[in-house]
Order: sequence, then C-alpha cells, then structure tokens
Amino acid sequence: MPPAILIDGLTTSCLYVTMAFGMVLVFSILGILNWSHGSMFMLGAFVVYYAVTAGGIPFPLSLLVSACVIGGLGILIQMFIIERISFTVAGLGMIYVSAVTVGLIFFFEGAASMLFGLQIKGLAAVLPGVLDLGAFSVSYQKIAVVVFTLVTMITMYIVLNRTKLGLAIRAVAQEPLASRLYGISVRRISWIVMGIGCALAAIAGGLMAPVYSVNPFMGRIPLIMSLLAIIIGGAGSLTGAIVGGIILGLLNSIIAYYLGWGSEIMLFLLVIFILLLRPQGLLGASPK
Amino acid sequence: MRYIDYKTILPGTVVGFLVALIVIIPVFTTNPMILSIFIISGIWAIATMGFTLILRTGQFSLAQAAFMAVGGYVSAILTVKLGMPFWPSFLLAGIVSGIVALLLGLVVLRVGGMYFTIITLGVSEIVRVIALMWDSATGGAQGLLVPPPPHIILGSFEINFAASTVPYYYFMVFLVAITALVFWQMDRSRLGGVFLGIAVNPILAEHQGIHIMKYRVIAFTVAAVFTGFAGAYYATFLSAITPLMLGTWQSVSIMIMSIVGGISSLVGGALIGAFVLYTLGIYLNRLPIYGIQPFVYGAAIVLVLLFLPKGTGLIDLWGKLWHKVFREPEKAEIAEE
Amino acid sequence: MKKWYKLTAILAVTVILLGMFAMACAPTPAAQAPTGPIIIKVGMPTALSGPAAPWGQSSVEPYETWIEVFNKEGFKVGDKTYNFKMIQVDDQNSEDGGAAAAKQLIFGDNVKFIVGHWTWNWGAIAAVTNPAKVIFFSRTGDDVQSLYNSQTMPYCVFGNPALEQSNYDIRALTIAYPDYKRIGILDMTVGKNAAWAVQDAQLDKWGIRFYHEWFPPNVEDFAPYVTRLHDEGCDIVYVAGWIGESMMFAKQRWEMGFKDMHVGCSGPIIDTSIYVDTCGYDAAQGYFGQYCAPWEYKKTVVNPKYSEQCREVLSIMSEKAGKPVVYTGWTPYLPTHLLILSQAMQAAGTVDDPDAIMKAIRGGTFDTPVGKWTMSGTKTYGSPVVFGSPGALCTIQGDKEVYLSESAMDPLP
Repeated sequence: MPPAILIDGLTTSCLYVTMAFGMVLVFSILGILNWSHGSMFMLGAFVVYYAVTAGGIPFPLSLLVSACVIGGLGILIQMFIIERISFTVAGLGMIYVSAVTVGLIFFFEGAASMLFGLQIKGLAAVLPGVLDLGAFSVSYQKIAVVVFTLVTMITMYIVLNRTKLGLAIRAVAQEPLASRLYGISVRRISWIVMGIGCALAAIAGGLMAPVYSVNPFMGRIPLIMSLLAIIIGGAGSLTGAIVGGIILGLLNSIIAYYLGWGSEIMLFLLVIFILLLRPQGLLGASPK
Repeated sequence: MRYIDYKTILPGTVVGFLVALIVIIPVFTTNPMILSIFIISGIWAIATMGFTLILRTGQFSLAQAAFMAVGGYVSAILTVKLGMPFWPSFLLAGIVSGIVALLLGLVVLRVGGMYFTIITLGVSEIVRVIALMWDSATGGAQGLLVPPPPHIILGSFEINFAASTVPYYYFMVFLVAITALVFWQMDRSRLGGVFLGIAVNPILAEHQGIHIMKYRVIAFTVAAVFTGFAGAYYATFLSAITPLMLGTWQSVSIMIMSIVGGISSLVGGALIGAFVLYTLGIYLNRLPIYGIQPFVYGAAIVLVLLFLPKGTGLIDLWGKLWHKVFREPEKAEIAEE
Repeated sequence: MKKWYKLTAILAVTVILLGMFAMACAPTPAAQAPTGPIIIKVGMPTALSGPAAPWGQSSVEPYETWIEVFNKEGFKVGDKTYNFKMIQVDDQNSEDGGAAAAKQLIFGDNVKFIVGHWTWNWGAIAAVTNPAKVIFFSRTGDDVQSLYNSQTMPYCVFGNPALEQSNYDIRALTIAYPDYKRIGILDMTVGKNAAWAVQDAQLDKWGIRFYHEWFPPNVEDFAPYVTRLHDEGCDIVYVAGWIGESMMFAKQRWEMGFKDMHVGCSGPIIDTSIYVDTCGYDAAQGYFGQYCAPWEYKKTVVNPKYSEQCREVLSIMSEKAGKPVVYTGWTPYLPTHLLILSQAMQAAGTVDDPDAIMKAIRGGTFDTPVGKWTMSGTKTYGSPVVFGSPGALCTIQGDKEVYLSESAMDPLP
C-alpha cells in the first residue's frame, strides 16, 4: 500500500481527532451531544475563508480569529438556547437539547447558503506547494493540518492539566455537585467548555478549508464521522476521542483504497458492531 | 410535558366538521398541485406520528425516513421486479418495515438514549447505501419507476388512479384516518400511559414491574409499520423511488415537523406540524432566496423549543385559543349562574 | 346562543385561513397583452439550492437574457408571432422537489412545456408531464436509461445526449492526446448497471483503452483513487461527478506528484477562477471540460445566427456586470431545447397540439447553437427523440478556457 494513503489517512485522522475531542469535551461537562458541531466546523471554515480573502489576514491568525468567533457563537448558543431548554422535565431534557441542536444544523446550513452563496469556494492559495520526498510528495497544507492539530492538542493538554481553569473543568466533569460546593460556577464552566468545543470544530474547519473546499454542506460528513469516532473510542473519554479519531481516519483511507465504493458501508457496519458488542468503546467507562 | 386531553377542548362535532371539510375538498378543487400538497403532507404526517410515538417512549429516532424507504422499496420491488399486484405489495411493505424495526429494536433499544439515536443515524445511511449498491433489486442510483395502483371497480363506479389525482387524495385520507385511529386508541389506552411513564422515569417504571424493552419495541415496531405504509404510498404517488429521496436529512425534517407540531397530541400535533411545515416549505422554495427553507425549518424548531412550554407546539396554540375563547367564557357563564 | 356564535366564528376563520393557504400556492395567471407577440409559457425545473446549485444558479441569468434576445424576433407560426416566457423553479435535484416543481409549473403557472431540465429526477417529472400531455425536454443520462418507455412516455424529448456525449467527449480526448496510454473514467454513480455496460461496449468498439472506476458520493479525499488510477496506467482521467469532486481530484493528483496526469470533468467549466482558487493555479492548468462556445467549433458547423445570439447574450451580461462574462456552459441546453420546440411548432403548424408537435419532432431536422441534427433513432431506448450535440472540449490555460478538441456524434440508430 503506497505511503500516500497513510499520509492522507493521517490528515483525515487529525480532522476527526480535533472534532471528536471537542464533541467529547462538551459531552463530558455539559452532558449533551452537540449535533451542530458539524455546523461549527462549516462556519469556522467560512470565517477563515473570508478572513484570508477579504480581510487579508494571514492564515494562522485567521485560524485564531475563527476559533474566537465560533467559540463565541457556541457560548451564545449555550447561554441563550441550550440552557433555557435544559432546565426541564427529567429524562426528556436531553432529547430536547438533541432536537434543538439538530434543528440548528438546518438553521446554519440555510443561513450559510443565504449569506455566502452556494458556489464552491477554495483556498488553494494558502500554503501552496508540495514537499517532495522522493517516493511521494505531501502538500504543505496537509503538513499544516498535522502540525496545527498537534499544537492544538498540546495546548488542550496544557490547559486541561496545568491550568486552574483546566482543574476546574476536570472537577466539574467528575463531580459537578462537589465542585459547586467548592465555589466553582458550573454554569460558567459550561459556557467556557462549549466555547472551547466549538472553537476546536472551527479550527478543524479552517484547517481543512485549503485542503478541500468550502461550501455550506461541508459539515455533514465531519459530524457523522466524529460521532463514529466517539463511539469507537468511548463516549466519555477524551483519550478515547483521540484514539477513535486516529483509527477512523486511517481506516477511512485504507478501506477506500482497497474497496473503492464499497467503503461507505464498512465504517458504519464497524461502528454498529462495536456499539452492540462493547458500547463503551475502546476506552470508555461502562454504561449504566 | 403537559398532557392535554382533547376531549375537553375539541368536541366531537368540531372534529367531525373538520373531517367533513377535508373529505369534500376535491369538490372545490381538483387542481393536482393543491391536492398534491395535501397528499404529501398526509404522508409526512403519518411518518411524523410514528416519530412522536417513539419519542413518547423517550427515544429519539433518526431512522423514520429510512423506514419509509424500506416500505417504498419493498412495494416497488414487489410490484416492478416480481410483478405482484399493488395491494398485497403495499401491505407487505408495511409488514416488512415492521419486521425490520422489530429485529433492529430488539437488539438496539436495549442501549437506548444517545447511542440509540446514533445507531438510527447509522441505519439511515446503511439503508441508503444498500439501496445504492444492490442494484439488481433496487435499480441502484437510478432507482425504480413505480406504476400507479390499478383501477378499482365498485359496481358501476370506476376509480382510476392513472387519470387523476383525486383517488390518490382519498386514499391518503383513508390511510391517515386509519393511522390516526390506531395511534389515538393506543394513546388513550393503558399503553399510552405506560409509554409516557417509561419516558419520564424509566427507573421508577422498572421498579413498578414494567418491562421497558417490551414497550419500547412495541412503539418502535408499530411506528415502523405505518411509516412503511407511508413510504410505499409516497413511492407510488411520486411514481419513483431512489436512494437519496428518503435519507438522514428527511428524518431530521420529520423530527422538526413532530416537535413544531407539538408532541402533547400524538395525532393532532403531527397533522398540524406536517401540513404547516410542508406547505410553508413549498412556498419558501419558490422564493429566489436560496437556502431559506432549511433556515426557517431550523428556526421554527429552535423558537418552538425556546418559547413554548416543553412538549407543546402549534397544536397547543390552537388548543389554548380554543380554551380561551370557548371554554373559559363558558365556565364564567356557569359561575355567574 | 353565544356559544354557537363563537364556535362558527372560529371554524369560519380556520376555513378561510386554509383556503388562503391553498390560494397562496396557486398564482393567478397573468393577463395577456392585447397586441404584440403571443406569449408561450415554458417551465424549467432546475437545482437552485443544495449541492447541485452552482450549475443551476450560473444559468439563471444567461437563460433569461437569451430569451430576451430570442424574443426580439420571436418566431412565427402561420401568421402569428410568438414569444417565450420562462419560469424557473427550484426542484432541489430530488424526486419530491421535481414532482412538486412540475406540478406547480403545469397546474399553477399553466405552462404547456417543460424545458431545460438537467437535474437527476427525470422519472418523477416524467410521471407528472406525460399524463398531462406536457412536452418534456430533458437530457439522457444514467437516470433515464432503464426507466424510459416509449409507450407510456410519449411526450419526452431528450435535447442533450448526456450519456452518449461522455463517450464522444472521451473520443475527443483521444483526438487531443493521440499518444495517450489509457483513459481513466472515474464515475460518481455507484454500482455497475446496464447503462455503463453499453457505454463501455461502445468505447471498446472504438478501440479506446480505458479503465472504469466508481466512487461513492461525498468523497473529498481522492488519494486512494488517484493512486489506483495511476497504478492502472491512466494518464488521462475523466471525472464524471460534480465540479467539487473533479477539482479535488485535480488538486490532489498534483500534490501527490502526478503532474503528467491530465484531469477534467464531464461538465462545462463554470468559471476558471473557481478552479484556480480551489485547486491552485498550477494544478488547474490543462483541466478539461465541456466546451460550449459554438462559434469556435472547428468541425461542427453552427448556424451563425444562433452563435450570434449567444454572443449577444454574453455581451449584454458583461455590460450589466461591468466586467467580461465568458461563461458559455449554458448554450447547449435551454436554447437548444427552445429552438427545437419553436422549429417543431413551425413544422407542425400549431402551438397547442402536443401530439402534432411531437410528430414533427420525431425524425425532424433542427438547427441549434450546437449544430444541425436529424432526430432519427427509432431504436435508441425505443425512442427517436434524442438530439446529438458534439463532444467538444476545452482546457484551462492561464485563466482562460481554450478550445481543445472535438468529436462529432455519429447518427443515432
């Protein structure tokens, strides 16, 4: 199997890792599955596109801008929509939040179609060129994806494990009641975590914008794939998200190479298989 | 979730009047475009009722459009490839859909919750891919062209589906009425209460000796049977079925119709939600603002969930209006006496 | 007493609201002008939203402008002059959208002809048009092959031979690159079905060396396909998919180092800037696509009148935009359909009788912006009504589209 396939798999893995990590973070702290995660990915890509082309902001800075803007959007969604819906009848609250975030997918796709138009947009001019390694070559854009994902993950590690904020987040994840007793505002932590989760999706979107293209429907597949990655790795586990993302990305490329158009169904079957045999995934805790 | 007993709000005469109105619409207009709107709204309403039923057991299913697809394909394959007459293949469509749901539900409803929703998403995609890949049966990406139902001869009166949209309309009314009756009866009976019980507090229900899996599977299967019928009828009405017609995103539309219509009323909410949103969608698609239809759908569900009390939707606005105008003054009259 | 008064009031309001809803969906027909050309309404379902929208939206303005240009002269049947009025409706490239669009056009807007159809919901629309005796101009393609039935669908005309044309495009490639090694055909339709077997057989008959491969929808990462096609010895790759997929293939094959692989798409090039922006300037060079500037055809003879009409459209659009508009991908579709329709009406001597018009179309010879063609072919899918336009290609050079090569169609049986 040619090394190009593995490199592509690695790039896709980085995408899934970032997305899945953001989703699991939100799930562990807020207990909700944010179905509009894919929309944050798409909006993040659009922000980067306009920042680079219309604003002339250099790419790395655009990523940061996008992270902040979409992170802010996520915080607003949490503050004004999800919170209002969560304080509700026990047992059904999660369903309403799921319903609202699924509805937001349509909302944002429609808004993006109306605001940005449906023509395909590309950012090939960002980091053009290839690194020739003899037997094969890699584009600088793909290298950037891997590098920036590593930077982002290391930053996340540092924030979660070496800062006070990270300590608070981990506390809320493990023992929300006890954390409140210690003076941590669970509500504020929820906002911050939602912001971080959406920012991660936006960074993933911005990184993939030059590699592929930008259009209002680009968030659909990353959403489904990050759900699958979370299942493989285990829903409650952050390391699980990373492991799941890596596995899914590599598998995606490898199966596509050997099976061509048969690959679509394989990933779904694999995930359903895992869900039925070992619902907690590879690294998750047993479900109740 | 508020549980409204509509017998106090909507007396039988009003329901009868509305039903009579619906039945005589073709007298006012036989324009296929307008009848088509009613017919397709009715089809989505059936699927929406299925979704609401499953939601009332506490599960969020994104596979309803996939069950429509199963029903549609079964009916199409039996009619087109195996030459079976229409009515048996239509019945089989619902039955096969129910069997698929039964098998799936027995395995999957055990986990429930978020995992169940993700699996239903996977099921939607898998149904689509199977329809795409098994092209000897399903026609692959091109799909199948479905012939209209055959003539029905009742004495000297002939019903010709191929000649006009009116027979389709009445068949839709018949299908929706049957589905509504079955679902309404289920709801009024003990089953309805049990469904809500296991949705709101499964642990308590289990302690009371209620076998949760049994009721979840019942709801899932019954919903799938009628959704299968709806799908078979959809394929017949459009004369075509393809893999992309009924996928994950149509399931999302069904969910939106259900919640915007209101889940407090199994039948009425679905009917209002499907009719209003589908008709609105048609109208919005005529506007040269591209993308406004998904935007409005998304906004509708967000607004309904934000501003209306939990579990209520458009049907409850109507109910409140009725209550304010009709019932309260009546009570005041009685109090005065 | 009061109770019943309120009851009836509310019910009346509900009925009125329902009625208004229904009325709102059925626009009132416009009044005819008392003098001047008689207007014939035609409807066009097209994809204006969803993933297929880039092609659909790009054609809205050109078609409206072309009809204005055409109407300046109009066409005469008998002693009356006629003009066309087109209503475009979004069909979302789906069956339900297509059926709804067709019903709105026929029963709401009262069109008598559906033209310019190119989306992938042929079956659903044909099911609406045939019973209503509305002549339906579409294109052939994989969704039509095994579904068409000349007995039950007598009012269908295929104004563009999409399926055959891809073979002629491929033949044009062999003319452009006579030293080619192997042509890779990368197709979006999943699954091998009868239509593609017919296509492959035709390529075999012509002695063209090719390799046919499929990919599922929504793929963005084409590295596995690039690698496999390269391993199969393909130095030209013809991607039959949306523009997005073809662009991704072109970009990724360049980045993977296969710079000698020629890549292109089965559709027209919308705007070279899209390709340059998405693939990168270097990767986009040499990208080939359908060429629709008929005044530059070298082998097919095109009536200068129709070429001039198209050029006039471009100049009107350029003036409005304030910068040169060079997109020509629209010329073989709607204009061809309407010219066939108007010429058939003239031959039949009527604008109202669909049977007479269809009779004039079968076996008739028509002159259009993509050349002259005789609709023969009683054996093609059991229907004679397929119009053959040449396979003509262009490539991107610099930031312009440049003519590449051409292969005229053999008469269809």
